Amino acid sequence: MNRSPSLAFALLILAAALQAAFLFRKDRKADPASPWLLLAAALLLLGTSVVRSFRIGFPALTGTFESLVFYAALVALTAFAYRLQRRLPRMPLVGFGATIVAAALVAVASSPIAPKEALAPVPALRSGWLVLHVAFTFVGEAFFVASFVAALAQLAAKDEAKRADYDRVTYTAVAAGYPIFTSGALVFGAIWAEQAWGAWWTWDPKETWALVTWLVYTLYLHLRFTKKRKGRLPAIVAVIGFLCTVFTFFGVNYLMSGLHSYG
Amino acid sequence: MRKLLSFFTSMRLAIVLIAYLALAGTLATFVPQGEEPAFYASRYPRLLAALVVDSGFSGFFRSWLFILPAFLFFANLSACTIRRLSREIGKKERRRHGPDLLHFGLMILVVGSILSFSGREEGFVRLAEGDAVELPGGGLLRLERFEHERYADGRPLEWTSEVSVSGDAARKVEAYPIRVNHPLRLGRYAVYQVSHDVEPVLAVLGPGGAAGSLARGEELEAGGFSLLFLGAEDGGTGALVLLKDAAGPGKSFRVAAGEAVGPFRIATLAVRDLSGLKAVADPGYLVVLVGLLIAAAGMFFTFIRKIKDFRP
Repeated sequence: MNRSPSLAFALLILAAALQAAFLFRKDRKADPASPWLLLAAALLLLGTSVVRSFRIGFPALTGTFESLVFYAALVALTAFAYRLQRRLPRMPLVGFGATIVAAALVAVASSPIAPKEALAPVPALRSGWLVLHVAFTFVGEAFFVASFVAALAQLAAKDEAKRADYDRVTYTAVAAGYPIFTSGALVFGAIWAEQAWGAWWTWDPKETWALVTWLVYTLYLHLRFTKKRKGRLPAIVAVIGFLCTVFTFFGVNYLMSGLHSYG
Repeated sequence: MRKLLSFFTSMRLAIVLIAYLALAGTLATFVPQGEEPAFYASRYPRLLAALVVDSGFSGFFRSWLFILPAFLFFANLSACTIRRLSREIGKKERRRHGPDLLHFGLMILVVGSILSFSGREEGFVRLAEGDAVELPGGGLLRLERFEHERYADGRPLEWTSEVSVSGDAARKVEAYPIRVNHPLRLGRYAVYQVSHDVEPVLAVLGPGGAAGSLARGEELEAGGFSLLFLGAEDGGTGALVLLKDAAGPGKSFRVAAGEAVGPFRIATLAVRDLSGLKAVADPGYLVVLVGLLIAAAGMFFTFIRKIKDFRP
């Protein structure tokens, strides 16, 4: 199972290459294999999480490597689900972009900046609320990956109809991810903090950045509500929102200290 | 009046305030919060340091830079909620109360946060087994037993403080295990397991059968002498003590277990576990919890409805 992330990475790269090859076809047909490669990669990554969970006797979500592996699995699953769904316009670039993000997350997980040692959690992290906090936050952020790629494509698209399709994908991904992210990052996070330290909120840098991310997506939803599909501003805000999630994870972990500095 | 009402119910105001709070909150994470003016003066150019301190940015989340926009946001949210709710109630069909519930939950959350912020009390104690501390509002909390479980590699797995509360009939507790993430709730107070520490303890035998177990800073008096335990040394194998008699200022000695100092003999030098407990009274506890749950429920109703609205 130690080689699972490497194998998953190879599958993701293969899926991305296949999708890239089909991006340039004129008949706009999607490749038939990449969804299953994405699913296989996601299952391998989830398998890694399950094995580590048994090894440490607790859901493996408390370390940087474990979080990245779980997050990458969810992004791959989101890309897989997007390819199979029939309610939204299927834009090949969205699936491709999400696959690249999933592969990048696995690459970072495998790099020296993420320690690989399977360590059981310290007392403050041994909480069911923490598991909900982390799991829901990453599920929400996996949808934000799709919204980020769709928003970037929307900003780059020259065709009005394509822009409208990308806008619809961006909005649906944010609409799905926002309540899940809010529940995980803010509601379950606050309940866990109260149980562990007796304070709902301490303005720790990670908490503040989670709130900033939430405010940015709140801003997106309100802008989208008032502007409907007009203008580039909502798409720009959706891109900023995702960049905030990236900084909340990497920037705060590596550049700032606080209650969350363990992972 | 109409203008004021339309100002407070404006979506544009909501957008401006959300954008401001996001941007200012971001900047605040890059400026160390709650430091002394000298700290900023040593780190930033003079003008910027003065700006950070004088504007209140050095304590952003307690300053008017945050509180005033947050208050305006609350007023805006309340006005929009009332207006939206009355409009929805007037509808004959396709009523959507998800956003109302979400906004109402956020309003409750803000009220709970203000209660929490303004009336919160907290205190921290470190107790050894057998120690007791008086609880605010009456009652005595005693640490009956402390257990420190470790993983095989020595890292902490769990800290458990078994406590009892006596002296207040309304808050009597027998053998309650407080663990991290498992506080003891006693009326308006909650007691949390937040840390673990160890301290050296010196067992001393004195003249005339006197004996004492001294923590750092404690002293034993016997036969006209006193022995003050100043602390452990040499990795815990030696102790620094101060021997005094009535005549002089005293003299310090480095001693080990089994050695004598004046009329005293050091029996053992050991370490004991200390449990770090935090007591918190949070008047906003229930209000915040209810606000969080209502906001979460409102959010799900809103977005499940929106996703259902999408047609293939």
